[in-house]
Amino acid sequence: MKKRVSALFLFILMTLTACSSQSDEATATPSENKDGKTEVIFWHAMSGDLETVLKEIVDEFNQSHPSIEVKPIFQGTYEEALTKFNTVAGTKDAPTIMQTFEVGTKYMIDSGKIQPVQKFIDEENYDTSQWEKNIVNYYTVNGKIYSMPFNSSTPVLIYNKDAFKEAGLDPEKPPMTYSELKEAAKKLTKKQGGQTTQYGFSILNYGWFFEEMLAVQGGLYVNNENGRNGNATKAVFNGEEGLRVFDLIRDMYKEGTFYNVGQNWDDMRAAFQSKKVAMYLDSSAGVKTIIDNAPFEVGVSYLPVPDGVERQGVIIGGASLWMAKDISEKQQKAAWEFMKYLSTPEVQAKWHVKTGYFAINPAAYDEEIVKTEWEKYPQLKVTVDQLKQTKPIPATQGALITVFPESRQKVVKAMESLYQGADPEEALDRATEETNRALEMANKK
Amino acid sequence: MNVLRTFLLYALLVICSVVVLFPIVYAFLISFMDGAEVLQGHIWPQKFTMKNYVAAFQKVPLFEYLFNSFIVSFIVMLGQLIISSLAAFAFVFLKFKGRDVLFFLCIATMLIPWEATMIPNFLTVQKLGWLNSYLGLTVPFFASAFGIFLLRQHFKTIPLELYEAAQVSGVGRFRFFWNIVLPLSRTSLITLGVYSFLTTWNMYLWPLLVTNNDRVRTVQIGLKQMQSQEISTEWGVVMAAVIVVILPTLLLLFVGQKHLQKGLMQGAIK
Amino acid sequence: MNAPLSVKSSPSVPVRRKRAVWTTLEGIVYLLPSLILFSIFLFYPMLKTVYLSFYATDHQGNPVQFVGIENFVYLLKDVNFLQSIKATLLFVCYTVPASVVLALCLALMANEKLKGIGLFRTFFSSTMGMSVAASSVIWMFMYNPSIGVINKVLSLFGISDVQWLLDPKIALISVSISTIWMNIGFTFLILLGGLQNIDPTLYESARIAGVSYWYQLRKVTLPLLSPTLFFVTTVSLIHSFQTFGQIDILTKGGPMDATNVIVYSIYKDAFINYNFGSASAQAVLLFFAILVVTFLQFKFGERKVHYQ
Repeated sequence: MKKRVSALFLFILMTLTACSSQSDEATATPSENKDGKTEVIFWHAMSGDLETVLKEIVDEFNQSHPSIEVKPIFQGTYEEALTKFNTVAGTKDAPTIMQTFEVGTKYMIDSGKIQPVQKFIDEENYDTSQWEKNIVNYYTVNGKIYSMPFNSSTPVLIYNKDAFKEAGLDPEKPPMTYSELKEAAKKLTKKQGGQTTQYGFSILNYGWFFEEMLAVQGGLYVNNENGRNGNATKAVFNGEEGLRVFDLIRDMYKEGTFYNVGQNWDDMRAAFQSKKVAMYLDSSAGVKTIIDNAPFEVGVSYLPVPDGVERQGVIIGGASLWMAKDISEKQQKAAWEFMKYLSTPEVQAKWHVKTGYFAINPAAYDEEIVKTEWEKYPQLKVTVDQLKQTKPIPATQGALITVFPESRQKVVKAMESLYQGADPEEALDRATEETNRALEMANKK
Repeated sequence: MNVLRTFLLYALLVICSVVVLFPIVYAFLISFMDGAEVLQGHIWPQKFTMKNYVAAFQKVPLFEYLFNSFIVSFIVMLGQLIISSLAAFAFVFLKFKGRDVLFFLCIATMLIPWEATMIPNFLTVQKLGWLNSYLGLTVPFFASAFGIFLLRQHFKTIPLELYEAAQVSGVGRFRFFWNIVLPLSRTSLITLGVYSFLTTWNMYLWPLLVTNNDRVRTVQIGLKQMQSQEISTEWGVVMAAVIVVILPTLLLLFVGQKHLQKGLMQGAIK
Repeated sequence: MNAPLSVKSSPSVPVRRKRAVWTTLEGIVYLLPSLILFSIFLFYPMLKTVYLSFYATDHQGNPVQFVGIENFVYLLKDVNFLQSIKATLLFVCYTVPASVVLALCLALMANEKLKGIGLFRTFFSSTMGMSVAASSVIWMFMYNPSIGVINKVLSLFGISDVQWLLDPKIALISVSISTIWMNIGFTFLILLGGLQNIDPTLYESARIAGVSYWYQLRKVTLPLLSPTLFFVTTVSLIHSFQTFGQIDILTKGGPMDATNVIVYSIYKDAFINYNFGSASAQAVLLFFAILVVTFLQFKFGERKVHYQ
């Protein structure tokens, strides 16, 4: 009996030590691994199909760069990844490259744990003018490019062309203004008995769409030129621009032409695919899968604007890549090499075609694979055109605040309260106040 | 009368089974549909396709994850059994000052919200150098108040006379523990084993935090890895993965079910 | 709890004292692994949480300024936190009694001696093997207003679209329903075990006396099952206060904070908004809330428990 006990303990001990020693080599991030390659640990939040494509690209890089080995590691959602980065930054467990969503930009800068890529741009005289102007605008802060833009997207209006025909609308003429939108939505709304079988329009309860609808009118989110001219201290999204958006949602919801899809991307798409809604706003990155899966013809168009308001364009969404500060120069160089590789036209063309994200390098659009793809999916070109026509003003540059995730929660709550009959002005003012308080707290720190 | 009663009972049992099992069956059916069919809201697949399963195994290293989950759950199970039974033994058979205080301190740990301890624990594990190893995934869960409580309740049903007799005949405490108490508590031990195995198998956030490496990652992470954020999720593939992930636990449950219900009840009665 | 160590022949005082010291030492040795692990992974972080709750923290979670009880004062005045308390209490009230009662009904049925009953027992306990993540994904799909199966079935009865997870009035109930489903396997197994432990001769005499099923249930089964019921309710209560996974996947605390239970609010504050001070204060309050409820449960609940 005793023997068996000790054998058991021995077994456990062996398993534990064996496993820990086996994984030790992967834990430590020495600048070189045993093959003499410089190791670049790349934390990302790309799940599903995106991860597959990302891995392919990384593999190609590793093959063409024998002295470097990039290791992509999935770290959960952007939030989960950021939490983890936060706790390990500055230690040996920190990654070399970290992917963070666009609203985390200010947070990363303030963390003091990252190395602005501007340093390498300057050292090499790397030409950033080859990048998409609007994308560079977003990620330029105080005249410096802090992070390397990677997966970028913008919102678009997606509509069911078959439903348009059925309702007597021209499928090649999607609504461009709020009044056209309301008009079309009315015609697209179908009722059977007391039940609405098809709604005209829908917006996801997600702060990003509100920010975009604000920016397209030239409205600012926070003061100090969206926080680009010094720290933002007050939220200003409750001005007339913001109110127009909220009024639109309230009015359409009251008329019964607007469908509340909640805050889940997949629920929203399911509503569109199952013909529950005929028009909705989506990310440009989702366009392709929608076209592939929808049992009807899909149209893609620009964000609508209020009547008589000039279109200013859209803010870039998505994520960028950050380089860690406290790592060896060799590793930083290797990471920079990888970042440069990612922004080459060939890689960007592949990324654009396979995921639907923009190419940060517009030269990619001249690549053969993009041309063939655009012939097959002419809708993809619309998303790129909308971005190209964007005017470079602070509104479309996007707001820069640390408490963005919190502020988004407040805006979502305000949107949700509209469906409960809240007054748009009150709801918006409340979200503004709550954002102000969060800003105040953050600026104290 | 009796026939009617039996018939009614069966009818009720069948209805309840359908309600309880429905979500699992539904997931099972979706796992055979292709993307478009899922989004159009069908319940029965028009044609069964295995594509989703193939895709699930291609997208993430599911086999490796399953293996890791198995190892981690198994180690936690063993650790909890050993450590909890030792503690429970002391709480029942050894009388010393401060014992009851210690016992209530242990029980109080059940009340601590896990979310509140996560970040400090992460830092501790990092300092110990246990990131990316089975150690970091398992050791923090070796001590379990639930386990101690459950085993203590069972040990209390063992007659004290047995203990006294052993003492008189000069049998050491550890031998008494090993040769008499443990064999007598087999059901409770199996129960705790299955319970700890299942809960460990189902952990997500902690394994995600302490691992960076496919070699030690567990299946629940794989499940999350298949769901996208900004672009469409392929629900068929996710459901296929769900089925793969729950299959081992369901099997374990079915096999251990008899012991489980006997053992769990032991913890319940004083 | 009776004294396990009874000394038959009374030895001299020094010997007895020596023996007591030995027992204490040995007891500590047996407890040591648990105590060490609890200290490192539960007590230490909890103390750290209490400490942080008196501080304002920076975005990295480092304390920067002692603020006394300001975090608590602010929370107790904050409408959002009060809403969280309300949501948590409602959630507990929705899930705990329903889980226990439903599981009890299932257990009573599955305790009958019938052919093939083992199969049904296995079915009823199956949800215990389902992870919260997997179950929530499935339920999210079922609740989907446009393609989910629940609305499809309801529409056959002419009930129009119910926004299960989007209507603030229903969302908490929807989350509760899925939670009850997830809980039922575990609760069922324990209760079935308790039922099987009841002495069959008692039923026999009840049958001979010719009492009705319901009378027997009220006067024999339930009193004898009360220790098990007590255990199940206590454990469910604690679990229910700490529910997190299904909320994260199904509603993210929305719509309009209707499902923003305290644990989720802690998670959001600590992991998304980086307000560690506030998150810690909430965790401390939650700890004491569970402590009080568990204490009350022991104090008043256990009175009704009938021990054999």
